[in-house]
Order: sequence, then structure tokens, then C-alpha cells
Amino acid sequence: MSFEYSVTYNTENDYENPVENASWQFLIVPENNDTQELVGIEIENSLGAKNEFSQNGYGFQTIRINTQEQFQKLNFRATFILKKTSLNPFGQVPIFNILDNYELAQSLDFKVDFEQFLGQTKFTTLPQDSKNLFVFDTTLSIFDNLQKLNNWVYFYIHFNTGVTHVNTLLEEIINNRAGVCQDFTHLFCALARANNIPARYVSGYLHQGNGYFGDAQMHAWAEVYVPQIGWMGFDPTNNILVDDNHLKVAHGKDFKDCSPLKGVVYSQGDNKTVHSVEVQAQQ
Amino acid sequence: MNQDLKKPIFSSYINNTNLFDEVFDPNGIAKNVYQKLFELYGNHSIQDYVQLNNKAKSSFFNQGITFQVYENKETQEKIFPFDLFPRIIDEDEWEIIEKGSIQRSKALNLFLWDVYHDKKIIKDGVVPLDLISSSANYLHQMIGVDPPGGIYNHISGTDIIKHSDGNYYVLEDNIRCPSGVSYVICNRTALKRALFGVFNHYKTHSVTNYAENLLEILESVKPKGVDVPNCVVLTPGMYNSAFYEHSYLAKAMGVELVEGRDLFVENDFVYMKTISGPIKVDVIYRRVDDQYLDPLEFKPDSALGVPGLFTAYKKGNVCLANAPGTGVADDKAIYTYMPEIIKYYLDESPILNNVHTYHCSRPDELKYVLEHIQELVIKPVDEAGGYGISIGNRLTKEEIKVVQEEIKQSPRKYIAQPIMSLSVHPTYIDDTESFEQRHVDLRTFTLLGDKKEFVLKGGLSRVALKRGNLIVNSSQGGGSKDTWVLKK
Repeated sequence: MSFEYSVTYNTENDYENPVENASWQFLIVPENNDTQELVGIEIENSLGAKNEFSQNGYGFQTIRINTQEQFQKLNFRATFILKKTSLNPFGQVPIFNILDNYELAQSLDFKVDFEQFLGQTKFTTLPQDSKNLFVFDTTLSIFDNLQKLNNWVYFYIHFNTGVTHVNTLLEEIINNRAGVCQDFTHLFCALARANNIPARYVSGYLHQGNGYFGDAQMHAWAEVYVPQIGWMGFDPTNNILVDDNHLKVAHGKDFKDCSPLKGVVYSQGDNKTVHSVEVQAQQ
Repeated sequence: MNQDLKKPIFSSYINNTNLFDEVFDPNGIAKNVYQKLFELYGNHSIQDYVQLNNKAKSSFFNQGITFQVYENKETQEKIFPFDLFPRIIDEDEWEIIEKGSIQRSKALNLFLWDVYHDKKIIKDGVVPLDLISSSANYLHQMIGVDPPGGIYNHISGTDIIKHSDGNYYVLEDNIRCPSGVSYVICNRTALKRALFGVFNHYKTHSVTNYAENLLEILESVKPKGVDVPNCVVLTPGMYNSAFYEHSYLAKAMGVELVEGRDLFVENDFVYMKTISGPIKVDVIYRRVDDQYLDPLEFKPDSALGVPGLFTAYKKGNVCLANAPGTGVADDKAIYTYMPEIIKYYLDESPILNNVHTYHCSRPDELKYVLEHIQELVIKPVDEAGGYGISIGNRLTKEEIKVVQEEIKQSPRKYIAQPIMSLSVHPTYIDDTESFEQRHVDLRTFTLLGDKKEFVLKGGLSRVALKRGNLIVNSSQGGGSKDTWVLKK
């Protein structure tokens, strides 16, 4: 089955003092992959500056704006039309020997190939006393353990906006047991990696017709490399496997690689930024 | 006036025969290659020498050949102390150094290609995965990127010492933004001005061809489709300790010296702002560290970089020299694997020796290091410029305890090496108004380009001016000497 979504990303930036020049990089364009196809893009900015398509360091599409004229306010709006194919996450789980499954993940080749998504980053470093917060049960398959982990993270953290911010580290999240999708995902990735399973941070949009968390902002979830299967998406914020409501933009080691808006602004004083996201299904 | 000053230059030289003196043999007789020089200098009195030395010093100041030292958040501008008595390397020894430097640079280049592509050397178990995955200088953004000409370390600075056994050993490979080459050229100019006559008696290789070779190397790695590349030197600005060098190299190559704010990126191409409009830039000799290159990709608060520069590089529209991410091979822990790395990629034995190294990350070696600190030099793996080094036999008991604790806390951060006895060279010391033995090392400069390689026939001989000191870095109070490589 295939769906069509319309995604609108909107941001308003106000600066206390006039800005002489600035560069912004938006990492908000849904990627093309096996289950989604970008069929339309519409972008506008209040400055009338050119919207340049480029890439970030990991090859995901970006929109870049450079301004040369003085301004104090920037409004930016992008609309994407996306075709999404439905997939059954259970459909692709083959039957295999559980021992082989773990042995593969232990091999040097595997560790080298997935080094990028096995290591700790600033946002995915577990505090010393939390290294064993979730230990895999090796009598179960890796996939089953990951489902348990998804469920565990979902119940461990209470979804609560305003408790954490974009720079909150795991120690605080584990102590307060509260956070948003970014925090759920960091904890999930950290614990999967602690069990030697490659995990990457994914940013994207969620169509929340069904009352999921992750509403008027961009959403985050994790992709995990399961030996003998491949990359699979888990959404610990909602305790579900990634499905056709998840519209992927980019992935990286953690939030820092996926930050939707990066800017270099040559100005002094305060600024205020507001983002909003709207996802509509147009079946 | 002090009568001593009228004495011949070397009359009060104390030849400590426990040290390897490059000029005098244990009987105090000048070695063959130095004999003529000894005669020429020996005719002068200390007084003559002091006068010449002062002239040379002021010429450095007048030309603004200075560097800055960071200490306690304050910076000081200093001249790099220069000694008028040159160091000579004969043709046979130089051949070893030159071949060895090229061999190391090539092996490091192949290593860098590998760790950013197939990682075969790790999969084959030659180098542990940990050295890559725990290195702050390993840039995941560089995975799969093919730099123009396949070159990562266009410019390498290899630090070499002569041990008391008479052999050369490599102390470290600098392949981020090695500096010092401008001093090599300035030292030669200063010595020629002060003592032109001595050059008539030796056939010495010129060092002034460095800039033209550097430009040739940079042009050889131009992006695809570019006919005549526009090269620039990118500097962090006038407050950087090596700013003089950046401006010197730009001038000597005849290219523009730019700061980050002079460049911009449009449609993934890099342009330079000029009064006659934007001009496309094809090759950037950057003297800005990786983390400051592009605020959209690395440190977001960097004012030194150019937004979008990394993507332009990744798309092959501009070449950066050295390539981003080379720092992973500049790590002192990687250094210890150099013999294996050379063997693995080139199937050759190392031409230049490595100093034996203990990895504190290996439990058995850690144990040895903790027990033998007094015989070892302890170095942090990720610091440059001689910072953070502890020399075991100079530490008090309390200091040893502190160092032991630090190593136990983060073993991966430290390596240890036997205390090497660097050779000494007669060096004029202001305080005692006489020549004394001082430890000396050598930094060679090796260039790698597309089907081209070059080693500057000369190098930076750095002297530790404090008696007995083994750390020669300019930031730690070292001086330098003109270094002559003799022609066959």
C-alpha cells in the first residue's frame, strides 16, 4: 500500500540586532530510500535569498541560505510531498540460529565495519554506574532483545517536554527519567551499543494521526543493525517499530550529526527561534 | 672589557664525552666534515661572534620573523633564537634521512586511505581498532572520500634525532599542519648575510626551492576539470603563532594569503572575495585545524573557517592540503605501529628507526611503565608542541606519584619511550658567553603530490637552549640552527 504525505517545516528567527551576513543549513529534506520517494519540494524564505541545495558531511541533502544584506528577521518555510510505501517490519525477519547471530556481531570485521555506530559520543556516553542498565539475554535473538530494549526505554523515561534541552546528556536523563524523543533515542542507542549492536540516531517526521508522541516538532528514532537482517528502525518514544508513519530525513552518530538547523550568524545580542512541523496524510 | 671575549671561539668549549657530539670527536678534534668550518670560525674571537650574532638577531626582529608562546592565557611575541654555527649533514647520511622520510610519508598516506576506506589493516589485525575508534582526530565525514590525487598528507614534518649510537631515529610524524619551514629558509638567509664567506668552502644544497616545489605539489592535486588551479594559503590570522610562516609561504609561492572571512561557498564551489568580484579557489593550503575549517560541519562557533567548505571539498570542487582527518595518523600511539604500517603497505623495512615505545593501553606494558618511570619519557598521545611531557629521571618522588596516577586514570592517553640521548652540537650561549654542548633534533619537510614527491634538502635543527634539556620545541624555549645538506 502506498500513502502520500505533505510535510511542512516552518521556522521564524528574530534577532535583537541587525545581522550583517549569515549562513544557515537546514537538514530537513526527507531522503529517498526503499520506502519513501520525494516527489515535490516548495521552499520560500522571507529574505528572498537563494535556496541552495547541498549536502552535509554524511551525504544527506541540505538546504543552505547565505545572506549578504542586513536583516533582523528570517522566516523560512519548506513543504515536501512524499510517497511512502508500507512495510511490514516482521515480514523480513528470517529464521536463524541465535548463536550465529551473536557470533557475527562479535567478529572483528563486523566491529570494524560498524565502528562509526558502535562507539560512544558525547550524547551517547553512559555514566559509569549505568553501563549495565540493560543487558541482552543471549538466549533470545538480538532482534527480540532490541524489542525488549525499546519497551524498556519507553517505560523508563516519561515523555515530558521542557525538562531537557538539546544539549542534555544521558546522566541527567537517566537520573530524572524524563525527556523527549531525542533523549529516548540517545538512551536507546547507547544501550544497544553497550551490547555491541550498531545503532544510529535518525531524525525525521512523524505522522501522528494515531496519537503518537513527537508531534509538532521533528521526531527522532533509532536504526539498529541486526546481523543477518540489516538496518531496522525502532521508535522508543512510542514503543513501536518504525512504520509508514515515520518519514526519515537523516541519520548520524547522535543528535549533533542530525541537527535540523545550523547557522553561522554574524551579529551580537539575543535571538529567538521558533520551529513548527505539520505532517498530513493525503491518501 | 672581558679579556675572555678576545679568545678564539672554541677555546673554552667543554667536550663532555658521555654525549654524542656531532662536531668534535672524544679527543676534541673536529670531525672531517666540520674541519674547514672549525678553521673558519676558529679564527674569530667570541667578541666578533657576538657582534655578528646581534646583527643576525636584529635582522629577524626587523623582518618580523617571530612566533607567539601561549602561557597562562597570555601570549608573548618572541624571535626564534638562532645560532650562527651551522649543522652539517653529509650526503650519505642525508640519503638515509631523505629516503626514510619519503617512505614514512608514503606509508602514512596509504594508511590514511585505508582507514577511510576498506580498513584492511585493522581487519587483518595489524593495527588495533581502538586506535581509530578512540581517536578524536578520526573524522567519520571522511569515510569514502577520495581526495584529489589520492593524497592526504601533502606536507609532512618528520622529527628525527641522532642517538648516541650514531643512528637516526624518528620521534614523531607531524602531518596536521607542520610548521617551521620558514625558519629553515630565514636561517639560511641570516647566515648568508652574516658569514657569506663560509659558503664558499662547502657545496651546500639550496633551501629556497621549497616554495616552488610546494606550489607544484598543490597544483598537482587540483580538482578534476580545472586547467590552471588558483591556490591560496588559508591562515587563522595574525594572532596565530605561525602567522609569519603563512604570509611568507603565500608570498614566496606568489599566491593569495586569505582568512576564512575572505572566502565563501556558493553551489559547493569556493570563491575568494576580491575588489574585482569573486574568484574561484581550487586548492587551499590550509593552516587552520580540522575542527575550525567549517562551522556548519565542525565546531559551530569557529570564526576561522568557511561555512560550506567541507561539502565543497567532499564533492571534489576544491582540494584541501593537508586533507581533513589526517590527524588520526599523527597520533603518537599510531607512531608506535609505524614499522608494521610500512611493512604492511610497502612491504619494506623501515629505513629510519622508530624509538621503542610502550603503550600504556596494554596491561603488561602499563605495568612496566609504572615500575620504570624513572627510565622513561611519558608523552600524552594527543598533544603537540612538547606540552605534557614528563621525563622520568627529572621527576621528584611526588611528581612520579602524580604521573603514575594520571597514567592509571587514562592509560590510552599515554605512551612511554626510553630516554633517548640526543646528539649535541656546539651552540653559543648568551649567559656564559661561550659555546656549549646542546641537544639538537631535526625536522624534515616532505611533500607528496600526484606522482611527485620532494624532501627539502635541509631542515629545521632545533636546539634545546637550557643545559641538559631534551625538549627542543620552540614553544618550550628552543632555538635553531641553519642545516646544511652537502652535495655529492
